[in-house]
Amino acid sequence: MKNLSLKLAAVAFVALGATSAVAGVGGSADKIHAAINSRSVDAIVAEIERAENLACTECVDLVATLTAHDRVEVREVAAWWFAKRRSLHKAMADQFLVVLASGDTIAVRNAADFLGRSSTFRALPALRAAAKRELGPEARLAMVRAVKHMHLRGGNEVLTAVMTDKDARVRAAAANAWREIRKQENAAPVVALLGDASPLVRAEAATTIGGLRDRAGVAGLEALVVNDPDATVRRNAAWALGEIGAASSSVALGKASGDASGLVRMTAKVSLGKLH
Amino acid sequence: MKHGMKSIAIALAALMGGTAGVGCSGDENPGPLSNVDALIILQRAKRNETGDVFEYTSYLPGARLVKLSPPSADGTLTPICCDQGGPDFRNIDISSYDISFDAKQIVFSGKLAEMGHYGLFLLNLETNAIDELPTDPGRDYISPIFVPGDFIFFMTNAVVEVGGFQHEDEYERRTTTQVGRIKTDGSMHELGPRHLSHRVYPSLTSDGRVIMTQWNHLGGDNAAELMYMDPDMMNLREAFGREGTGAANSTIKPIEISPGRFVAIATARDRTVQAGSLIDIRLGTVVEKDGVVSAYERQAEARATYQRLSPDVPVTNNPSADTVGRFYDAYPLNAKDKPDLLVSWANGPVESQILEAANLSANFGIYLYDSERQTRLPILDDPMMWDIFPRPLRTRTAPPFIGSAIDPSLGLAAEIGSLNVYDSTMKDFAPGSIYGVRIVEGYSSEEGFGETFGVTMFEGQSVMGIAPVLADGSWRARVPGNVPLHLQAIDKFGMNLMSEPVWFSARVGEARMCGGCHEDRTKAVVVDPGQIAAFSRPPVNARADKARSDRNSDIFTRDELAGVPWDRAIQPVFNAKCVSCHGQDNTAGIAPYTITDPVTGESITLAFNLCGRDVVAGKCDGSIPNANIGGQDLGNELTYSYLSVMGLDREAVATGGLVMGGNYRTYANPENSRDSFMIRLLNPVQQWPTQNPNIRAFTTAPHMQGKGVDLTPDEFNALVTSIDLGGQYYSRENNPSLEQDDN
Repeated sequence: MKNLSLKLAAVAFVALGATSAVAGVGGSADKIHAAINSRSVDAIVAEIERAENLACTECVDLVATLTAHDRVEVREVAAWWFAKRRSLHKAMADQFLVVLASGDTIAVRNAADFLGRSSTFRALPALRAAAKRELGPEARLAMVRAVKHMHLRGGNEVLTAVMTDKDARVRAAAANAWREIRKQENAAPVVALLGDASPLVRAEAATTIGGLRDRAGVAGLEALVVNDPDATVRRNAAWALGEIGAASSSVALGKASGDASGLVRMTAKVSLGKLH
Repeated sequence: MKHGMKSIAIALAALMGGTAGVGCSGDENPGPLSNVDALIILQRAKRNETGDVFEYTSYLPGARLVKLSPPSADGTLTPICCDQGGPDFRNIDISSYDISFDAKQIVFSGKLAEMGHYGLFLLNLETNAIDELPTDPGRDYISPIFVPGDFIFFMTNAVVEVGGFQHEDEYERRTTTQVGRIKTDGSMHELGPRHLSHRVYPSLTSDGRVIMTQWNHLGGDNAAELMYMDPDMMNLREAFGREGTGAANSTIKPIEISPGRFVAIATARDRTVQAGSLIDIRLGTVVEKDGVVSAYERQAEARATYQRLSPDVPVTNNPSADTVGRFYDAYPLNAKDKPDLLVSWANGPVESQILEAANLSANFGIYLYDSERQTRLPILDDPMMWDIFPRPLRTRTAPPFIGSAIDPSLGLAAEIGSLNVYDSTMKDFAPGSIYGVRIVEGYSSEEGFGETFGVTMFEGQSVMGIAPVLADGSWRARVPGNVPLHLQAIDKFGMNLMSEPVWFSARVGEARMCGGCHEDRTKAVVVDPGQIAAFSRPPVNARADKARSDRNSDIFTRDELAGVPWDRAIQPVFNAKCVSCHGQDNTAGIAPYTITDPVTGESITLAFNLCGRDVVAGKCDGSIPNANIGGQDLGNELTYSYLSVMGLDREAVATGGLVMGGNYRTYANPENSRDSFMIRLLNPVQQWPTQNPNIRAFTTAPHMQGKGVDLTPDEFNALVTSIDLGGQYYSRENNPSLEQDDN
């Protein structure tokens, strides 16, 4: 453990006497500073949570800086911190709304994460407009996160807009988020993604269709559960067919019950038993 | 991730001076592992991002399950999972596992790729086949354990409520995990009743129940404590950590040593990589027989004790010292007074901030720990991996199957009640003092609250109903199933006499009768419907038939009140009846108070003021107070009236080391309207069984007498209820997200 001791001696400055871990209690600007200096995402998140009530100028500046951190966990906790301070939150949100309209990919990413995680519902129109801009996947993934966190159907248009993104991660994230919208009535835009070129997208689409029990996806799911080359897709399709429960799926699920992959077999068998 | 086959810290063994045998050939002392042929061990990629004890989504590829046989430093290490699964398993991470009773199967929680979730997998140790269990691919399933009846019990963020969203911890923002179970053949996937916050680390006890860690967050209570539950997700009961018995903020990873006795990790909630100090918990009366120390009889949280088995290891998130380190988990090998344990331990601070700054990760290895001498003998330490959860690969006796009846006639409801509310270990009630039981639903930020609910640290709450207590002290009510609830015994003025200090929930179709109001937990509850008054009449319907979205009310009368939105249920009363004297001009002449930062000398002055955001001509201009001082936001930008009644944010005052001077007074004590100055001054009227403005709670003259129009009985009830629900500003009825249209 020699290396450990030497390295720890070199960073002893960060040991600022951490106290018992109760959220909202015991935070300070110094502790946030030390956590940031350590580069520990875990420590930064913990210290921001602990600084729930702090409103010192230095804290505001520090946390504002974190809204542009390269890790989403940090950006999100910074937004959460501001959400508890109405005036500051409003001022920050106003700026980020402007950024959505004109910022570059990273700026929009940061803005969307802030507005989403702080439940800034009035940002939905701006998010819808931003989804139509030519931006990189980082920004679009953040928009999806924002809409997913808000759970409002006003975000549907954002999701449908990015379902055609050239980046499969964006399409998959949008398919996934569709299920997380409150009072979502069907999975119509997601059904088309069952034929996506990316197995990542097909897998997420199958899960969402199953989660929403949208019978419009049955034919596509039956095709996937038997023929898709990706075992995770077949597995998710099998689960979705069980959730929907259409009797017509018995043939496809019967075949899938003998799937060579252990990811698929048991799910297909159980889904077969759920058909009406 | 490159796996070292073995890296045994032989030198460290010498340093530790351990002598206990670990089953090595030639050792005359057979040692605590002598009857163990092999160990199963989980190896995960080292990481620093699991500081929070409830973190469960961390993913790094490269995990595997290995078998070490014999279980010693020179044993042979054999990977058993999951290369045989082919390319689909190439990037798997495994978070936990359990071995079946017959030692022929392993169930584990695994995640196959970054964009995915933790699912449940069965590994057949005879055929080497891996089968995934049919769980929701869009949700995480963690901490699986085998329980009797061919079930697997697990934790998941899947939601039992159709169309609902999982509870989020209001203050740590994370999505909680709740209980569920599934048959080993994949059938009968069932989700259990929800807690308002996190549940993690279940393990099975010899009497067939499950013990687990639950984050209890009710008002000022913030701690991870142990709870019992039957494997069918019913009969939730407290086990350890409340009533002043806890060893630390968080008690996690309990494993039974002997009946009523557990080894667990005591630690802080965050920054300790889910590791801490070893504690030996005894829940009941301690007895020793044939070298086995157990504590099964008369188990009660209030009488529980514990011993520190690693006294040098901090139970806070203070960095640990070199050679002291922290323990990730422990498994008992015997039940001596000071047991021998298989442990996973790492040297150094095991504190995420220091580790990250040094570009290090905790390096957990497997050791045999002699808790008598507090020595560790190394068994396995792969420096590239976390070596965790060592478990003997051997058969074990399945405990009895526990099953309770589900009453299908309850539909989506559950039935709760008590035999005699006067039977309590927490309070001596005067005979006849309890009118009824207030049943309160809890919810958190998942319903769209972007801010805190107020300054008092309570969660969102809503009254489901009031169940009258009958002549023999019994009561019964139907409530929404699977919903977090807590109970308050109230008097005929609607004022809280005692709050049950924990959230609980009942499964759909579950009927649970408590003996009393937090009664002696060692007493057996015998329900004899023929002898109990509550069974002689129908149960009270406590919004049992209402969906979540309908469990609110815009009518704030006694019988309709659900949540108490401050701006809608309370502020109009103030505007109409109070601000003429207690407006911004303070014509009542109540002396102000100051809040001073002793470091800077800065101070602000505030006076009692019952104005809200409404403009009341000549009295209120609609502004809100500036209560920022000493780096603390004491008011969360809420109204003068709210802060005047509920007080400033007390945690912020304490955190900032601020000094209150002048005429500062707390007018309302959350959950305690009866002792709240404002309520005593106003002197509320009788609410139950009928509202009667001529019967007052106190003998003193009501404040409004001769000063203006008194509050109506419904207005009194709203104010009293608001305080007893914790004094929150927001509720479902004024949820800020409801102001947003879906457009």
